Amino acid sequence: MEEQKPIEEMSFREAMTELEGIVALLESNTLELEESLKNYERGVALLASLQKRLSSADQQVEVLVGELANLGTDEENDTTLS
Amino acid sequence: MTTDETMSVSEFLASFNKQFKRFPFTIRGEVSEVNAKAGYRAVYFTLKDDSASLSCLMWNERYQRIGIPLAVGMVVEVKGRLSVYASKGRLNFDVESYTLAGEGNLRLQVDLLARKLQAEGLMAPEKKRPLPAYPNTIAVVTSPRGAAVHDVLRTLRRRYPLAKVLVAGVPVEGPQAPEWLVYGLQMAAYNGAEVIIFGRGGGSFEDLMPFNDERVARAVADCPVPVVTGIGHEPDTTICDMVSDLRASTPTAAAEAVAPAREALETGLASLENRLVTATEKTIALWSAKVQRYALLPLFREPQRLFDNEALTLDNLSDRLGRALPAALERDRQRIEGLRGRMLQTSRLFSVRQKGAFERNQARMTAVGGSLTDRFKGQLSLNASRLEDLSPVAILSRGYSVTRGDNGKIVDSITAVKEGEALAISVADGTIDATVTDTRPTAGL
Repeated sequence: MEEQKPIEEMSFREAMTELEGIVALLESNTLELEESLKNYERGVALLASLQKRLSSADQQVEVLVGELANLGTDEENDTTLS
Repeated sequence: MTTDETMSVSEFLASFNKQFKRFPFTIRGEVSEVNAKAGYRAVYFTLKDDSASLSCLMWNERYQRIGIPLAVGMVVEVKGRLSVYASKGRLNFDVESYTLAGEGNLRLQVDLLARKLQAEGLMAPEKKRPLPAYPNTIAVVTSPRGAAVHDVLRTLRRRYPLAKVLVAGVPVEGPQAPEWLVYGLQMAAYNGAEVIIFGRGGGSFEDLMPFNDERVARAVADCPVPVVTGIGHEPDTTICDMVSDLRASTPTAAAEAVAPAREALETGLASLENRLVTATEKTIALWSAKVQRYALLPLFREPQRLFDNEALTLDNLSDRLGRALPAALERDRQRIEGLRGRMLQTSRLFSVRQKGAFERNQARMTAVGGSLTDRFKGQLSLNASRLEDLSPVAILSRGYSVTRGDNGKIVDSITAVKEGEALAISVADGTIDATVTDTRPTAGL
């Protein structure tokens, strides 16, 4: 098995791709028991990291050009509903 | 032109035409009927506004010079002169040239540019790139004012807060807008955007014109990362929409197209979790079954069978040893005794002179007799140690145990004992008394 990247250094996409790969590998039923368990452990860790990122993310906004008017709250700014 | 002279109809119309040909007019109106049949020497059409209409004709050679075919609904400005077709007495405006007016003109330009870029292959389906699945960085190029930018930011925050969002707030209307839009796209790509949301909120056709600008359209087509357009409202289509990688109907729809939905992601992760666990459980079950299959082999159910051959050999050897040893020793002893007796008898017959020689011989004989038994002693201890190796006691010392029921028989099946029966379990260093409390078959048997 190739060197594994620490999960916290992976992007969401990388972690997701690896997780999907592990699930497919496990489902293929071609692994030794020890490898299966190792992969399972890695999969669980990736899953936990992805779920945590998703629930705790706070969007980072950077203005490159121009000046944004005060954002206000979503409710105040919601024009799609009105 | 007033006169009291009486004129014929022909004279009147000839005079009328002559007078009016001196006054060119420019008239603006909407084309409502066009009659341009092959074989006609002129194109006939009607120009109208809300409350009036005017018959127009345009000679073919003039019409062809213009190069823009007239179509119903076009707003045009026609230049020409008034004349009366004498034989029918019908008033006609004789059009010398025309240009497209207002929006009609813009639409034509847009149409021409669209055809040009299409011919260059900028709208080819195979040129459209797929959007990144989980973008790390999303850029928004739009006006920093107005609802659109906030609609986009809110949608991104709600759906995919993981991504970093870059905002290039640029003017989207006015003469400078095309340059700003191009700059915004370049800045977004330069600062690491993986996908760009490009657009503006609703507006009139003229308002959307910067998105029909050739420079902007080319910047979209040449952008190093995928561009998703959301320009105006649903029915509006600009050239940028045509050359972008994905056209969404509004800025909000563009944001939705770019960002995976958080709920869908959570559902997807839950499903992956489920598959991960199921697959692993399956693997464990598979290997358990393999282990179980081996556990059921007689080899493991009755390990003592492993030593069957050795046990037989051992019995045989020990039997032979038991019979052979004492007999051999006895025979040797008797032989020595006999020799000794004969020696004694003989010695009495020997003279004192011969006594020394005799005693020497005697000592040698004794030594030989002693070493004879030594040989057997050595062999005996060798056999005893092999006996030890093969003994059931040695097997017990490796951790196996032998269980006997109260009838003294070895227990080799759960059916051989009854609940409450007393058992004697022999282990290496003694015996454990136990009682049967329960029996259960090996799983899988």
